[in-house]
Amino acid sequence: MSAVQFHSPTMIATARSASTEIPAPLIPLLSSLTALIYTIENLFNRLPGSPIILRYIKSSYQDDPWRSVLELFLLAFALRTLFKGRTRGEGEGKSFIKLTEKEIDELVEDFNPLPLADEPTPADSMTLETVPTIYGPNGIKVKTSPNGKTLLNLATPNWCGFVENDKMKEVAIETLKRYGVGTCGPSGFYGTIDIHQKAEADIASFLGTEASIIYSQAFALVSSAIPAFAKRGDIIVADRGVNFGIHKGLQISRSNIKWYAHGDMKDLERVLQNVERERKRKGGKLTKTFIVAEGIFENDGMILDLPKVIELKKKYKYRLILDECQSFGMMGAHGRGITEHFGVPASEVDMILGSMANGLATGGGFCAGSQVVCQHQRINSSASVFSASLPAMLATCASAAIDILKSQPQLMNSLQVNIQVFRQQLSKLEPFIPTTSASGENGLMPPPNGIPNKDALISIPSHANSGLIHIFLLNPPDNLEDEEIILQQIVDEVQQSSNVLITRSRRLRSQEIFEPEPSLKISISGFMSKKDVEAAGKGLRHAIVKVCGSEF
Amino acid sequence: MPRPTRKSASGGASTPPSSLSSSPPSRPSYPAISLRSSSPSSSSSGGKEMPNSNVLSARTSLLNVLTRPNHSTPSTNIISSENNSSDEDTIYSDQSTLSGSSYASSIINGSIVDKQHLSSEDIARVYENYLEKPFVYTKSTIKHSEFGHCNNPNWRWTSQWNPDEPIHPEEEPHPPYFTLLTTYISYILLIVIGHMRDFFGKRFRPAEYAHLMPQNGYAALNSDFDSFYTRRLKQRLEDCFARPVTGVAGRTIVCYDRSSNDENKTFTLTGTTTRALNVSSYNYLGFASSTGGCADAVEACIKKYGVSGAGPRHDASTLDLHVQTENLVARFVGQESAMVVSMGYATNSTTIPALVGKGCLVISDEFNHASIRFGVRLSGASLRSFKHNDVNDLERILRDVISQGQPRTHRPWKKILLIVEGLYSMEGSLVNLPLLIELKRKYKFYLYVDEAHSIGAMGPNGRGVCDYFGVDPREVDILMGTFTKSFGAAGGYVAGSKAIMDRLRLRSHATCYAESVSPVLLTQIISSMGSIMGVAPPLATPAEEDKSDSLSIVSRPQAYGPAPSYILPAWMKLPLNLLNGTEGRERLRRLAFNSRYLSSGLRKLGFIVYGHRDSPIIPLLIYNPGKMPWFSQLMLDRLGPDKTPVVVVVVAYPATPLITSRVRFCLSASHTKNDIDLILRACDEVGDLLGMKYGKQTMNVEEIISSAEELVASSKFD
Repeated sequence: MSAVQFHSPTMIATARSASTEIPAPLIPLLSSLTALIYTIENLFNRLPGSPIILRYIKSSYQDDPWRSVLELFLLAFALRTLFKGRTRGEGEGKSFIKLTEKEIDELVEDFNPLPLADEPTPADSMTLETVPTIYGPNGIKVKTSPNGKTLLNLATPNWCGFVENDKMKEVAIETLKRYGVGTCGPSGFYGTIDIHQKAEADIASFLGTEASIIYSQAFALVSSAIPAFAKRGDIIVADRGVNFGIHKGLQISRSNIKWYAHGDMKDLERVLQNVERERKRKGGKLTKTFIVAEGIFENDGMILDLPKVIELKKKYKYRLILDECQSFGMMGAHGRGITEHFGVPASEVDMILGSMANGLATGGGFCAGSQVVCQHQRINSSASVFSASLPAMLATCASAAIDILKSQPQLMNSLQVNIQVFRQQLSKLEPFIPTTSASGENGLMPPPNGIPNKDALISIPSHANSGLIHIFLLNPPDNLEDEEIILQQIVDEVQQSSNVLITRSRRLRSQEIFEPEPSLKISISGFMSKKDVEAAGKGLRHAIVKVCGSEF
Repeated sequence: MPRPTRKSASGGASTPPSSLSSSPPSRPSYPAISLRSSSPSSSSSGGKEMPNSNVLSARTSLLNVLTRPNHSTPSTNIISSENNSSDEDTIYSDQSTLSGSSYASSIINGSIVDKQHLSSEDIARVYENYLEKPFVYTKSTIKHSEFGHCNNPNWRWTSQWNPDEPIHPEEEPHPPYFTLLTTYISYILLIVIGHMRDFFGKRFRPAEYAHLMPQNGYAALNSDFDSFYTRRLKQRLEDCFARPVTGVAGRTIVCYDRSSNDENKTFTLTGTTTRALNVSSYNYLGFASSTGGCADAVEACIKKYGVSGAGPRHDASTLDLHVQTENLVARFVGQESAMVVSMGYATNSTTIPALVGKGCLVISDEFNHASIRFGVRLSGASLRSFKHNDVNDLERILRDVISQGQPRTHRPWKKILLIVEGLYSMEGSLVNLPLLIELKRKYKFYLYVDEAHSIGAMGPNGRGVCDYFGVDPREVDILMGTFTKSFGAAGGYVAGSKAIMDRLRLRSHATCYAESVSPVLLTQIISSMGSIMGVAPPLATPAEEDKSDSLSIVSRPQAYGPAPSYILPAWMKLPLNLLNGTEGRERLRRLAFNSRYLSSGLRKLGFIVYGHRDSPIIPLLIYNPGKMPWFSQLMLDRLGPDKTPVVVVVVAYPATPLITSRVRFCLSASHTKNDIDLILRACDEVGDLLGMKYGKQTMNVEEIISSAEELVASSKFD
């Protein structure tokens, strides 16, 4: 096409006639340019509908030249967007340095990345070496070596002894014979089995909420359910003491996060007021606002003052996301969690996140709330949509465990008795020997009154009714590593001398937002005999005195 | 039982089975595909002729399956006393006999049916109990409805890279422009109508929009913009998703029938159930089962251990079973060490932050799974993504990032981690691992391969993409995978060198804060994985096995050797066929055959099919959103005379790009060849009705079915 145009005699003639004014070297260039324009025009004319476009451009330019400029600009912008790189940092940013291929090759040659795994520190090695392996079944009596002695297990959460419940084993075998083991699919694609729906209904009716949704892991539930609702620009007011899973959820949500002092309701109110004031000052539009807290805090066993939080949430129009991964199955007369403990209807809380692995000794987690809240997560919560559903027998066992909890409130009683017995043993090492019975008004922590104890070595912030007990050293050494070594000595000592298995809380140092203090972590079970628990408490006390007493 | 056994079938050294089983280079080169009994009319049958042509095609199909030329000679002596007592239904054999092409004969009600008089009622009767009763009695202890009995040794294939076959098709198949145009118009219509309904609905029926509007001083819980797709587009297809089921998601699955009176907002169960052929579950090796050796081991485990994994691994919830499983997994994938996590999704989302952080760069394939993206976001590392499976684009990015360093500061990156998937769950495409390994040597990045779908499903030994491509697994820094898909359990693993695994054990969120894996799942993993590997010693070499077979566990490469028996728990008693690895090998080969057969067959039928031919995930493109619910429904309420329902998964935006909505078949070793035939027929009839054959149909469905083996052996991509 272009060749024909180029060699047409008129074209050459035009070029010659122009040669009088234009310097000779430019002539071939100009003629080829003209030829190109002709070609384009010709091609354009052959397009269907091109006269309409041409007429449109002409008329619009005549009517309003600025509009044409604007349109041209928009077109350029659209093209730029179209051809721009997909991810940030792509292409020619401000700091982009153009390099030759040879230079790039040299840089590639010189590139020397860090090893994928860094060298473990001594503390790391200690952590790895001290993780016990249980030989045979888990439960309240375990062995940490194939032929070792039997230890009382105060390290595994097993509030009601469901880990070794025979009824649940029966249910599991029945389920195996009907459903097999895995579900082989996410819940959206034929992974929703009838027993999942039953377990969801059971949990909802047990707690008294409208609905619930099951996830296949409690940790993933917490870090995924929060960002399913809280988005960029929303406001989350969170307790400083919340667990790691919540931190990750908050991080993913990209919301505006305000922290309040751990367990301090006055500070919570102050933060809420600040947010309110700021919103009024800016006159911004209404954004979603959430309060995030835990029922029993995983990091220290403290309880949330739920009635007060509910009051504040209603006053300031916040939605409450309550993580009950520890308290579900542990608190309240039937194990419904801290809503039952405080006598607050669960429907007052917008979202209750619970763990079936801790509370019911099966696996997975659930989120209970209104129908809208649960339905939304089925499509919008990443861990629910993109993961295989919970194995059938873990769901049926959860249903079975809930039935047991409903019908046998004595399980909760014996748990409370064991907790009391254990705490009694340790109270002699706490800073204050309580003058009255341990439980304060409304079940909250008693104020620190009583006789000051000069032999005190430890402090236990955990709530008196909490089966999860964290023991902190009262006078810790200066660095965390030494403190963890001392705690590990206590763990070893109590295992050696009293045949009790406990653990120190394991942390992800440098990944946590607020580094939690090292502590010993104790899980009491209602399934243990009172005598055993008492002996264990005594053993732990002796071990603490033996390890710490000598140093101070 | 006086039936020809497998031994007799594979006895002759020159018969196809043994030559099929040899390694790919020595694969027999089959002659060009021969078309038998071609009937050109049925391939071009339009929608109007449907009922007639369907009966016709189904009839010929049955003839192909049931009545092969020498059906009158009772070479397969199947009317034994056992069969008579078992059922009076149609019994016909899928057994291969020495005569090769004749491997079936049909007897309906004891009399041999003249093939001219096979009406659709007869076909319906033949298929009446198709999903639950095998045509031939086998000694298998596993239910036919969970794991189909399929004994013909011709219907096996080995999943292994053939360097002559391209890893990716030269160019993606394109739909006609008309289809693209109508798809876009459909979406525009949906969006316009949706917005109109929102506009009027909010004003006239505020109660139904309460959760989208601010009330009592609370901001709306869900933004109507964010949920627009869910409410206005997905809700129209809602019946295709989250169908409640019961029982095992094996070869077949039982769905609850349901109906909706309020435009799919809520569903009510009608109280009846439908058993359907299941090509939707990730059950690649068919280990989802309520019976059989693995289930027995799990039962023993429940009695001994209970069901709970209880607390986090580091808090005294590490069982001996966890350690045993980790050792076994490390051996299975050919790495030094491994770690198990209680959820597949969480395996990625908790591991990646433990490997990379600020100052590190993650390069990720654009189609990587949501869990990988979640993990990268948690890690705080920078992210660049490259075009799906495009090695050139990857190299361009690598040169760019290494030469430029970190943004603004230009410091070199601390680490560069490339994250890819072995087999992409929505595309069915394989990663080009050999090329990535070359790039890795040059550019010194670390390689993380997510084998969620490929582990167990790919490779001659089922060890994933490394095995498939013959790449040393230790060339890959981190191998990650899940147990949900091939092993019928749940959870995931990461495997790598001991140093890396130790770091992960210390830094991974899962070990400190997430629940440990339930012992029940661990047992399922150990037993299923052990049965793929075979256990040695005692190496129970099957007496009748052909020693020259390159896939026998005796002659496997060292990297993929059998599991030493001391790794397995002492209390676990597995039957011989699991211990010696024959069962596992059968499953691997059945899956490979099924995948290749369906993938090739659908292509021949003129459908646009993505992905690699050896992939057990086969996406079939639908494009028009309106066809999605129809496809799903028509596969369930079959028009064809066999009336056997099939459940399929349809996937649309946001899991796929907006226009390429698709149906995704997930094949399994539990499917028999007859099942695949049935799927092909079903797709053929629905494809004609809905006009979904966007490509060029080159064979009709009965031709495809009769030349299954040739199609599978052919090395041509389309």
